[in-house]
Amino acid sequence: MRHWLHREAVFYLFALPFAALTLLFGLWPIGLGIEVSFADSASALAAVPDFVGWANYASVLGDPAFLDSLWRTLLYTALAVAANVGFALFYALLLDSPLIGRMRTVAKLLVFLPVVTPEIAGYVVWRWLYDQSFGAVNAALALLGLPGFGGIASTSTALLAVLLAELWHHAGFYVVIFLANLAIVDRALLEAASIDGASGWQRLWYVVLPQLRPAITINVVYALIQFLKTFTVVVVMTKGGPNGLTNFVSYAAYRLFDEARYGEATAMATILFALVMLVATAAYVLAERGRA
Amino acid sequence: MRARGLWRVLAQVVVGVVSLVFVYPYLWMLSGAFRSTRDILAAPLHLWPEHFDLSGFGSIADVGGVSLLRCLVNSVVITVASSVVAVAVAALGAYAIRRRPEALAFRLLRGGFLLSMMYPYMLLVIPVYLVMYHLGLLGGYLGIVLFLALGPIQFFLFEQFFRSIPEAMIEAASVDGANEVQVLWYIILPMARGVVATVAIITFLLNWAQWFPVLVISASPDTYTLPVALLNMNGELGTNFQGIMALAVITTVPPALLFLLAQRQVMGGMTEGAIKG
Amino acid sequence: MVRGRMVPRRRWLAWLVGFMLLGGGVARAQELTIWHDLGDNGTKWFAAAGEAFAKTHPGVTLRAISYPTEQWFGRCIGAINTGTSPDLIYNNYERVIRVAAQTHKIMDMQPVLGGIADKGFLSADDLRVATYAGHMIILPVQRVQMAFGVRKSWLDKVGETPPVTWDDTLRVGRKFQTEHPDGGTAPVFAFALEAANPRDLIHMLDLFTFGAGLRHTLIDDAGAVVIDERQHAKVLEEFLKVFTTYKMVPPDTVNYSFNEMYQVIEGGRAGMFRVGDWNVGKWVKQGPMGDFVVGPWPQFFADRKSAVVIGGMRGVAVPENSPHKALAEQFAAFLLGKAAQQASLNFVGAAVRKDLDVSGLPPQSQQFARPSWNLIAYDFPESVHPWYPQLEASFHKKLMAAIASPPADWQAFIRQTAAEMRVEAKALAAKGG
Repeated sequence: MRHWLHREAVFYLFALPFAALTLLFGLWPIGLGIEVSFADSASALAAVPDFVGWANYASVLGDPAFLDSLWRTLLYTALAVAANVGFALFYALLLDSPLIGRMRTVAKLLVFLPVVTPEIAGYVVWRWLYDQSFGAVNAALALLGLPGFGGIASTSTALLAVLLAELWHHAGFYVVIFLANLAIVDRALLEAASIDGASGWQRLWYVVLPQLRPAITINVVYALIQFLKTFTVVVVMTKGGPNGLTNFVSYAAYRLFDEARYGEATAMATILFALVMLVATAAYVLAERGRA
Repeated sequence: MRARGLWRVLAQVVVGVVSLVFVYPYLWMLSGAFRSTRDILAAPLHLWPEHFDLSGFGSIADVGGVSLLRCLVNSVVITVASSVVAVAVAALGAYAIRRRPEALAFRLLRGGFLLSMMYPYMLLVIPVYLVMYHLGLLGGYLGIVLFLALGPIQFFLFEQFFRSIPEAMIEAASVDGANEVQVLWYIILPMARGVVATVAIITFLLNWAQWFPVLVISASPDTYTLPVALLNMNGELGTNFQGIMALAVITTVPPALLFLLAQRQVMGGMTEGAIKG
Repeated sequence: MVRGRMVPRRRWLAWLVGFMLLGGGVARAQELTIWHDLGDNGTKWFAAAGEAFAKTHPGVTLRAISYPTEQWFGRCIGAINTGTSPDLIYNNYERVIRVAAQTHKIMDMQPVLGGIADKGFLSADDLRVATYAGHMIILPVQRVQMAFGVRKSWLDKVGETPPVTWDDTLRVGRKFQTEHPDGGTAPVFAFALEAANPRDLIHMLDLFTFGAGLRHTLIDDAGAVVIDERQHAKVLEEFLKVFTTYKMVPPDTVNYSFNEMYQVIEGGRAGMFRVGDWNVGKWVKQGPMGDFVVGPWPQFFADRKSAVVIGGMRGVAVPENSPHKALAEQFAAFLLGKAAQQASLNFVGAAVRKDLDVSGLPPQSQQFARPSWNLIAYDFPESVHPWYPQLEASFHKKLMAAIASPPADWQAFIRQTAAEMRVEAKALAAKGG
């Protein structure tokens, strides 16, 4: 009996630091944040807040502007995840193929460089690249005789502009994850397939991609969580504009914070939180089910 | 053969163009550190500075009362420490959960962890401050290091690796009479060397640019890291654009170098860990 | 969450922390901390003031820490509510209001002011803009002035004098945009403005409105909407036309906050812009390099004098749980003394005293320090109506929509918007006000 206890206790011991960190720095602050969402904004951060139950949630969910923001966040997330993971997969496969010779190392570095560039600085640069009057993007397009790109000043192109800037910053990370997984693809299987006469595309589809499945899952779930919370790019580049087009939920909540509407701001954040939970779990469950 | 040559050229052109697009903003940043605002706005396409104006670099020698060197040291200390802790904590946690996935406590733990990664962090300024205050960790390195030691990708990578170890291998070791600690230390960890290095490096690369916990937990600029110094350059009294570009360049160099040196490890590090039958 | 009634288990921890803080405080022999958001210039000012203070209070050091403004709010509120507050906090009046409202722990500075003999330079207006809910929450230390600036060499190039009326301004603006007075080929715009956040756009509107001699922008002291009043509507219409019909700002302005606006000004891409007294120090050495004149905002109406706008007062506040409260109060009073005020003028460009030495300052700073122009003070609606920020955000949204798709009839749009704002103001006032 004692031996069994000792055996099991060891695992709890292993997991203890992880559990401690998760509880103290992960869940506790979130708990506090959720607590604030049940308080009236005027006293939300005071020592003795005035609790008003679900009033903040009712007011937030009843606001058409919020629902608009929610819808836009979902749309952007779907597009961003597809674009980032799709591009990353394509580019990783390209970099891994023997078609690229010595360029490989440099290319890997360059695609990963934006990931380690501080977000603030990176997005400030993109802000100015896109500028209608002083930006390099339009200057280059003009040089090539092409029509100008509306960038973040026009409602028809702002979403795309933000998506591209974020792709620049994030895609490299997903590329690296894919490359790491491509390195452990079973070469023996690939050789067997090519001996059996499978073409390049068939080898890709039937041998490589199935082995990349866990990596695709991780990347998609991670990207979903990442892009649902899209924040820094909006703060630096668009401040929710133009005309509210990029007013995603994280930023909308942050803006409310600025207006001292703390109760409603945290209610928004909690709703987003619930949404992320839902979407990420759904994606994960779907992926795991497909695995079998 | 000719078709293959054509594919090769096409592939290399694509990679070349993509690489150029990805590096261009960085080059712009680099040149922006040396050019005056006037030049930047008047001739946006020129990457080579008209006049080498080093005032941008000069102005960041001292940011918010703290020397740049101090910020650099803080960045190194905090990032290295948090990477080490992150690896240890995530590895142990992921291993324990992998060994006893049915345990209720572990299922809750895994769920709770994933949950905690999903909240929009920027609204947690005051809650994190309160938590650190209650734990007495305000102001020092420890609070920041511990906060940064929690990350989703570290857990995922270890989980994925441990899952790929066949149960049979572990059974065999325990039958031989080894206790759990011995199994972990003598059997599992040597296999995990590659993943450990990978996770450590990835954690370093990601944590280097983190600003949120450093800003909230620091009691004074003495514990500021480079990205936080960057944030502070956007003040209401004026924006030091060249300074921001210069500081951004400096902040990006160490992780870029590390990546260059370790990229084979990062992207091939999973190989050592792959157990196939 | 911290409450008045703490769980006993936590109480001993609080005692321990408090004891450590106390012990630490005694051991550190009098270091005052002050949190502000004025960046490096502010820190230098406080360093100079601290040194001067130490002459009469030996052994006292001052530590000034600057935070980006949004972080400043969160940190001050969090710190004051957990008993880890700094000795003093410093910011604009309207920002200290927020901290006071969420903590109820900012001390009333009336007694401190009472103890100062030399304070004749503070007018009743100044003190009104330091009072909130019957308490003097800040000791006003800097008067924030915002003037209308125009590039001097550009005026010379197009053969104009600094514009006085709005018509003059439009004419000069058109010339700037067509005649390239900067000598280059890159686009040049008449104005540099900001519009991204509600406080960005409406602040610009405030400047033109108050600068024209009007006393309110969106609502008056009673909370009634004023934008469709004849004169207010005229200013609003012209302001919106600057973005649309006249096209006198960069199209990206809808995304600009003060960072980008400063970039455009310092990059020499705009001819007319806001100049705050705190900007002069930098713009004399960089960017425009002193090539600008400052003066009152454009005059719209013959029966109203145009003015330079007093954007408010910046001041020092002392939290009730300040670690060295008595000393903090003394330092606060010291900031109104000649030495500290002179340092303020030198480093930040603003002060309240009228008897300071301006000889070493650039000409524009001297004009701010010894104003010979008409001054008009901003009305701070949010100090009277706590729901004002929400109404302002709504107003901002409507204006941004109008800028994106300009209506055919501006006056009709303004009337419509006024009606909508009235409905909303009523609802907000009823809810909690």
